[in-house]
This record gives sequence, structure tokens and C-alpha cells, in this order.
Amino acid sequence: MSMKMHELRELIRLVDESSIEEFELDNDGTKVVIKKALSEAPVAPEQQPEQPVQERPAAPAPAPSAPREAAEPREPEPSVEQEEETDLHPIVSPMVGTFYSAPSPDSDPYVDKGDTVEEKTVVCIVEAMKLMNEIEAEVRGEIVKVLVENGQLVEYGQPLFLVKTD
Amino acid sequence: MGSPIRERMLSLLLEREDAFLSGEEISRRLNCSRTAIWKHIKELRKEGYQIEARPKSGYRLVYRPDRVAPEELKPHLRTRSFGRRMQYQECVPSTQLLAHEWAKEGAEEGSLVITEEQTDGKGRMNRIWHSPPHSGIWMSLVLRPPIPVTEAPQLTLMASVAVTRTLRRETGLDVTIKWPNDLLVGGKKICGILTELRGEQDRVQYVVLGIGINVNVTPDFLPKELESIATSLAIEGGRTFQRPLLIAAILKELEEVYEGYLDHGFEPIRILWEEAAGMLGRIITAQTPEGPRRGEAVGLASSGALLLKTEEGTLPVYSSDIQI
Repeated sequence: MSMKMHELRELIRLVDESSIEEFELDNDGTKVVIKKALSEAPVAPEQQPEQPVQERPAAPAPAPSAPREAAEPREPEPSVEQEEETDLHPIVSPMVGTFYSAPSPDSDPYVDKGDTVEEKTVVCIVEAMKLMNEIEAEVRGEIVKVLVENGQLVEYGQPLFLVKTD
Repeated sequence: MGSPIRERMLSLLLEREDAFLSGEEISRRLNCSRTAIWKHIKELRKEGYQIEARPKSGYRLVYRPDRVAPEELKPHLRTRSFGRRMQYQECVPSTQLLAHEWAKEGAEEGSLVITEEQTDGKGRMNRIWHSPPHSGIWMSLVLRPPIPVTEAPQLTLMASVAVTRTLRRETGLDVTIKWPNDLLVGGKKICGILTELRGEQDRVQYVVLGIGINVNVTPDFLPKELESIATSLAIEGGRTFQRPLLIAAILKELEEVYEGYLDHGFEPIRILWEEAAGMLGRIITAQTPEGPRRGEAVGLASSGALLLKTEEGTLPVYSSDIQI
């Protein structure tokens, strides 16, 4: 297959504008893989990876030492930190639509930071074309972060909450 | 729910029309005792049927209330599964809530919750849906479509197509769709559809499709604040409509369109929707999460999103309130 540069550019543009996260095309030995960078997920800039660490209230280790320790692979502390991060389970949006944190404008949100959830707990609604999709947590644990605002447009696969699983 | 014997007794009385049906004959055909017959006659009378009982002649149906109970609906049903299982109560808070409960207990596809009156009818985001007694169609249908969650929003468009086609055919009124699924006559709302889904990331557990139609609602029963935005089939058509016939026709059309959707995908629905839409080619404002967008409504994308032609190009709108 001979793919022209403009075709490739068009392809990248289409994938970029879509909710597709990864695109692979294999044709007559020519292989094109387009993978979106994670940072492209519509997460606000202030949610840089370091921030959650700093936000932790009881961090006895002095902050400046952390990067240095991270450079030494055998140090136990950073690996604990990292494990905690990976333990956080994201609840993601199963479709493109509007995120609603509450069943109606004047009611309390389904869940807040600090709330414990079970598999069947409804955590929010995502609405598209007036289909109201009640999203269940699907895991047990504690909501440690709400990543989107009420009324915000969310993409397919976009993380909505972080859950510290039990 | 009505008992099967009562339903059959009612259909026997209906068959006989103005003539008397003897107790003996009912007893023979339904294979039940004379005492049981008397019990069911009393129950039917409680529900508003006027049945004359005359010694030696038997029973005769004098008056039939306007009801959407199973015994009134079933004789008209031509569906395979839609409405074949039914929960009916004279008055409920919301058919949508009951259907959710039933679905969680395992209600099969096509299970229907229907009522004469809702005291707490639900619109989107818990808005109130005004549902006065014996004058509308207030029902919720349980679906279990084997489709990915990402495609489920298409169900709202599917339902709006089916109901619009039925109402056009049965009433002759010029019913049009406002994206995605409000049905209008002369710019006023006649039917609302509320679709709620429960599922996992990639799998639909169930969908509750709620349909509210103002059928025989008279102007007196329309609250003042709704006068300018809502209407009814009776107000627009200048006559009343038999709700059981309309419901049976809607369920039949819905079942066919739904099965067609599962077999052939969204494209045929997309074409039917565009035919039934009353807003294509018009300049509209879409209130989206990112602010208002103004442009020409040009059609539906293959996802079901509304295509809006704006100065910055053609945008797909997934989520929005539309102002025409």
C-alpha cells in the first residue's frame, strides 16, 4: 500500500478529532499505528501527576527528598507511593455525553470525595441524546477524587472518578 | 394486575355487545363456578364497568370505562413480546420507577408498566411530567438490547421514530420530532420520551423506555404554565382517541422498528428520523455544555448526533437542549 502524506495527515486528524484512543492499520506490509498521548485526555492542567502526592495531608517524608529517592530504584518509599497511585481505580465514561453529578439540579450529588461505594452504587449520570446512563461504580472502595465538573462534556473512556479500592 | 378469568369474561361480554350472556354459558366457557363469576362481576364493577345482571337472562355490559388495563389492551395487541407482560395499576407515583424495580428483579424484554395516572411522573433530571388520570398514555417499557453502551443513545431516536410514525398514521396529525426525541404538533409538545440505562462499561443490563403522550387531555386539565409549550392529540385533532388502540399500535410499531434496528443497525432509523424531523434546514440554537452554538440543523450523523452547520464548520452535537 502506498499511503500519501496528505492521506496520513487526514487520518491523524480524523483520529485526533474522534474519541478513538488507538488506531492501527495493517495493509500489505505497511503498518500505521496512531496512539493518542494520555495527556490529551481532557484533564485540567493543574492535575499534574505530582499534585496528588503533595495533596496528601500526612506526608512525613520531606518533599525535596522524594525526587532523589525516586532516582534510586531500590528505595522502598517511592515504590509505595507508586503502588498507591496504581491502586487507584478510575471510573471512566462509557460514552460521549454530558456528565451529571446529581439526579436533578437541586439535589445532592450521587457521590462526593470521601464517600464509600459498592459495585452497584450509582456515581453519576452521563447523558447523550437524552439517554440517561446511570453509571455504577463497579468496584468497592472510597472515592478519592472527582475529576470532572457537573455539566461538563466527557469523552468515551475519560476518567470521571478515582476510587481507592478495598 | 387483572386476573386472566376476568379478562376473558370481559371479552365474552364485549363479544355479545348489547345482548345478555347467561351465567351458565360463562360458567361453561371459562370453566368456573357461578359463585366465581359473581365475584369477578363485582370486581369489574369496582373498576368502573357497568354490568346489568338480570335473573334468567344473565349479564350484559352497559358501560365500559376508558381504561388501559390489560383486559382492554390485550385484545388489540399484535406484538411478539412488547407488552405481553404487563404491570397495571390505576394510579402509581411513576411508571419509570416501577419499571426499574421490575427490571432489577429480572423483567424480560418487552415488559410494560402502564397506568391511568401518575402522581409523580418523571421527566429528565427529575422534572415533573404532568400526567392527569385517564387522559394520556403513561407507560414504561423494559428493553435488553444486545448493543454496546456507546450506541445506546440511538435508542432514543429509534423510539421517537416509532411513536411519530404511529401517531401520524393513527391521528392524521402532523407530528414532527425535535432533536433528539421530543414530539411536537404545531411547535408544542405532545409526547416526551425518557430513556434510562443501567449497564456496565461495555454491556447494557437494561433500558427503561418511558413514553408519555397527552392523548385526551383537555385544555382545562393543562396547567397554565404548560399552555404555551404543550398540547394534546385531542386538542389538536378536535376529537378524542381510544387509548388502548393507540397503545397497541405504538407497541407494534416500536417492536418492528426496534427489531429492524437490532438486525440492520442505525442507518435505516437515521433516514426515517430525518424524514420525521421538523427542524432540518432551520437555524437553531443548541445549548451545549460548552455554551450555545448557533447554526443550521442539517441532519443526523451516523452516531445519531445532530449535525449543526456553523461558521466554524459542521459540528456533531451529542448533548444539548435545542431552541428552534
